[in-house]
Amino acid sequence: MSGLLWGAMSVIRKDLLAEGRAGEVLTVTIPFGALALLFFPLSINTDLAVIRQIGPGIFWAVVLLFGILVTLRATAADPPQCRDLLLLSGVEPASIFLGRTAAGTLLLLVFELVLAPVMVVFYSPEGIAGWPWLFVVAGLVAIGLAALGTLAATLSTGLPSRSAIAPLLVAPLAAPILLAATETTDLLRTGQGIIRWILLLVAMDLALIIAGMLVAGPLEESMQ
Amino acid sequence: MKTQSVIGGAAVVVMGVGLFLAIEVPPEQVQGDFVKMLFIHVPSVMIAYLAFTVGLVGSLAYLATKNTSADRLAAASIEIGVVFTMLTLATGMIWGRPTWGVWWDWGDARMVSALFMLFFYLGYLALRRGVTDPKTRAGRTAVLGVVAFVQVPIVHFSVTWFRTLHQPATLFRPDVGNAPLDSVFVPPLLTALAAFLLVYLAFIRARYRLADRQDELAAAQMTSELAGSAVAEPILGGVHE
Repeated sequence: MSGLLWGAMSVIRKDLLAEGRAGEVLTVTIPFGALALLFFPLSINTDLAVIRQIGPGIFWAVVLLFGILVTLRATAADPPQCRDLLLLSGVEPASIFLGRTAAGTLLLLVFELVLAPVMVVFYSPEGIAGWPWLFVVAGLVAIGLAALGTLAATLSTGLPSRSAIAPLLVAPLAAPILLAATETTDLLRTGQGIIRWILLLVAMDLALIIAGMLVAGPLEESMQ
Repeated sequence: MKTQSVIGGAAVVVMGVGLFLAIEVPPEQVQGDFVKMLFIHVPSVMIAYLAFTVGLVGSLAYLATKNTSADRLAAASIEIGVVFTMLTLATGMIWGRPTWGVWWDWGDARMVSALFMLFFYLGYLALRRGVTDPKTRAGRTAVLGVVAFVQVPIVHFSVTWFRTLHQPATLFRPDVGNAPLDSVFVPPLLTALAAFLLVYLAFIRARYRLADRQDELAAAQMTSELAGSAVAEPILGGVHE
């Protein structure tokens, strides 16, 4: 167990260090996501009532679509030599999956936290009811999306069409995450209970992490 | 080839019988003659479930044994499952327009989950096409074949878990004795199911054999000499030693 966590910590450190040097998420994906948030009112309707209604849904859709880009960032794709070195150092495939998912989760959280004020300013200037709960939802969405993205990124490692195939694999399975996130925001606005949607997110996250750890070994084997 | 013809011939005959029975069935109280669309829609989705289940079994068998036959079986079955899922969605939309008044409802759990399942399995096929090395392709798609199957029970039970536009399951429901189906509709439905099963068997056999040939061709291309192999480096006035 400690070996698993030690390996995961090493991968988190490596991934965050690589991202810190490249700055792909901070300098490219986040501004791109914010720009997408600005495009929707222009393409749909500039009526404030409509914008307030659709704002949270658009925010989560942008988080999902651009979050895929965060999980597929170039710094998360190890060259074969790096993968071999990790395995030779005794880092298990499940550790690599866990570490990569954790690093992806942290970057997705940053992505969500930077985009949330943009959404509030342009879509809900009066604020969002029950917003402290949204931190919990944002965390759970980030974990699920990072696990899915890591799995898809591993499956499409080294493919010329990686940037097209991986999102095609992530988006359909991320639908329950998007549904739970938008429903929670809607229910918070009307002051209703959100616990069953939170439980759905927790169940999805756990299922994805367990599935990812279980298939990490066979996937690594297929890449040798 | 002979077995293939027998299965294909049987599929045509049983489909003819099913068509005759479907024409003979009286119109339903509410849906009228549109009820007959369900003799295509319900068997299509059943065969899609079966195809994805065979895909799961093939994928698990490959992961356990590394036998390429299991990989070919999984891929062939999932490809056919995708075709039957498309047929299910198309016939559901055609039936839904006159019955529900809409082609599509984004709030309906069954429709949306089935659409996402289709896209995920299209991703499976895209991944398969994207990887050229047979061993790598088999390993990666076997993992995906196992993960993807989680959507099949979600699609099937979505009508039980969420009460939206789509009616509850007609077949394979927990209270199977209370299936909301008049007995007059059972013979054409079961005949259509048998016909679709035969079509699936004919397709999977043909697709498996095609995959076998494709692998043979790919292996032959890998070992055959390249066009430039006959040309050696130039040597002045002599021959290679």
